[in-house]
Amino acid sequence: MDYPEPIAQLIESYMKLPGIGAKTATRLAFYTIDMDGDDVTGFAKSLISAKRDLHFCSICGNITEDDPCVICADKTRDQSTILVVEEPKDIMSMESMREYHGLYHVLHGVLSPIEGKGPEDINITSLVKRLQEHDEVKEVIVATNATPEGEATAMYLSRLIKPAGIKVTRLAHGLSVGSDIDYADEVTLLKAVEGRTEI
Amino acid sequence: MYLESLHLKNFRNYDALDVTFNQGVNVLLGENAQGKTNLLEAIYVLALTRSHRTANDRDLINWQADAALISGRVHKQNTTTPLELTFSKKGKKARVNHLEQARLSAYIGNLNVILFAPEDLELVKGSPSVRRHFIDQEFGQMSPKYLYNAGQYRTILRQRNNYLRQLQRKQAKDLVYLGVLSDQLAAFGAELVAARINFLAQLEQWAKDVHQVISQEREELAFSYVNQVKATAETTVDEIYQSYQEQFERQQHKEIEQGTTLIGPHRDDLHFLVNGKNVQTFGSQGQQRTTALSVKLAEIDLMKAITGEYPVLLLDDVLSELDDARQTHLLRSIQDKVQTFLTTTSLSGIARKLINDPTVFDITSGKLAPESSANESDAAE
Repeated sequence: MDYPEPIAQLIESYMKLPGIGAKTATRLAFYTIDMDGDDVTGFAKSLISAKRDLHFCSICGNITEDDPCVICADKTRDQSTILVVEEPKDIMSMESMREYHGLYHVLHGVLSPIEGKGPEDINITSLVKRLQEHDEVKEVIVATNATPEGEATAMYLSRLIKPAGIKVTRLAHGLSVGSDIDYADEVTLLKAVEGRTEI
Repeated sequence: MYLESLHLKNFRNYDALDVTFNQGVNVLLGENAQGKTNLLEAIYVLALTRSHRTANDRDLINWQADAALISGRVHKQNTTTPLELTFSKKGKKARVNHLEQARLSAYIGNLNVILFAPEDLELVKGSPSVRRHFIDQEFGQMSPKYLYNAGQYRTILRQRNNYLRQLQRKQAKDLVYLGVLSDQLAAFGAELVAARINFLAQLEQWAKDVHQVISQEREELAFSYVNQVKATAETTVDEIYQSYQEQFERQQHKEIEQGTTLIGPHRDDLHFLVNGKNVQTFGSQGQQRTTALSVKLAEIDLMKAITGEYPVLLLDDVLSELDDARQTHLLRSIQDKVQTFLTTTSLSGIARKLINDPTVFDITSGKLAPESSANESDAAE
């Protein structure tokens, strides 16, 4: 027997989410039927509002309700540094540190020709434009991931930006704080030894 | 290091097997298709958790059963470690000293093996990619840094080739980005080339010695690492990096035209020279076999130098491929040093006399028996 149409559609919708296959989607769909009516309405509303009320900040590319975003609009933040990240969620990680008070720029990806992402396909042009318009920026911190693609993106940015006399820095590689050395993998240790500092 | 005992359950054509081995030479004697190579494979799998014959672990399970088990006791210095591997439809589980290991990398390394099978002749006769694969695999096992650099190199190479194809088709035009990819490739490529030259020099020394013994000092083996930047043992990583950079600049036009990376260690080759001549083109069948064998046996010493223990040697049908003299010298060079398992359909008189107290097992349809007394009286003649 086929599922009634509303259920079948709900299953199909759930399956569009990452990591959810037919079995899980079916279980979620039947659970939704048993849910309280108000909860289901709230759920549907937040889905729509997340899509409708959120935009990308026209300055930094972060997700935001208002444009420009709260960080870009906050004039008390240090206007002389921009920290470049791959995804909006990386800003959340950086903010939870509570020690960085500069600005951000979200690339929405890294350079990866295999995935069809060249320099024009990620948010680099807007970064360059931003730097041209705001000569108070003295340093760009590149915080892309420590993957070959992340490194290539960092090197590319430095080649674009450095000639303009702006300092370009990269996050350090090494041991995670509070961890035991015997839990670290060989390459992390290698990078930690290479990047050692004098005390 | 040696394997004290082996226990198999539903592995290939073995329903159940319990056997204790000799510390020296173990001969697996039997007709074709009785399970000699399956037994060598079991030891190989016990060491590395995967087979050299199949990529599919399901093939290892007896076709009538749902799960297979391989376990063995490995003797190292003064301790004995039980190893256990189970294969089922759900995957494999590895246990060291009865404790399940979450990561296979924590399991591998408890038993080191070196296998020489007839396919290994490809190392000499095959295409350059076979030799590059051999280099990357062997050196990757020994040096985590090499393994990391090789992995990074492969990823960047794929990205760069893809971008060159886009440039070729005029779908992209940013040469600054190409420069970044070239720079990355040159940096990791230089590390790889320097490491390969360094490791190959060590391996060459041992292979040379082995080859001399097997060929009764008639032949001299040498390695030659063929690369595009003319790097030698004296060249520094930085110099190799500079040479690659220059070549990338000079060949940029050609690379874009062809849409692929033309420079780098992924195009290098390793030549084996016997008495100064490339054995791939000028060597006889026998010389090619001996060369492949010498390189493999050199790994025994390399592994000893790196891990401090001799590995276990698995020889699949090697004796039949060598003439009597070469057999003699091979057996002399390995016995009393490494525990050896060798499969053969018949044990020649010479081999039998040469090997000190071999344990000979007769294999028939997945059953193992100590050699029958009739054969022993043969040997006494």
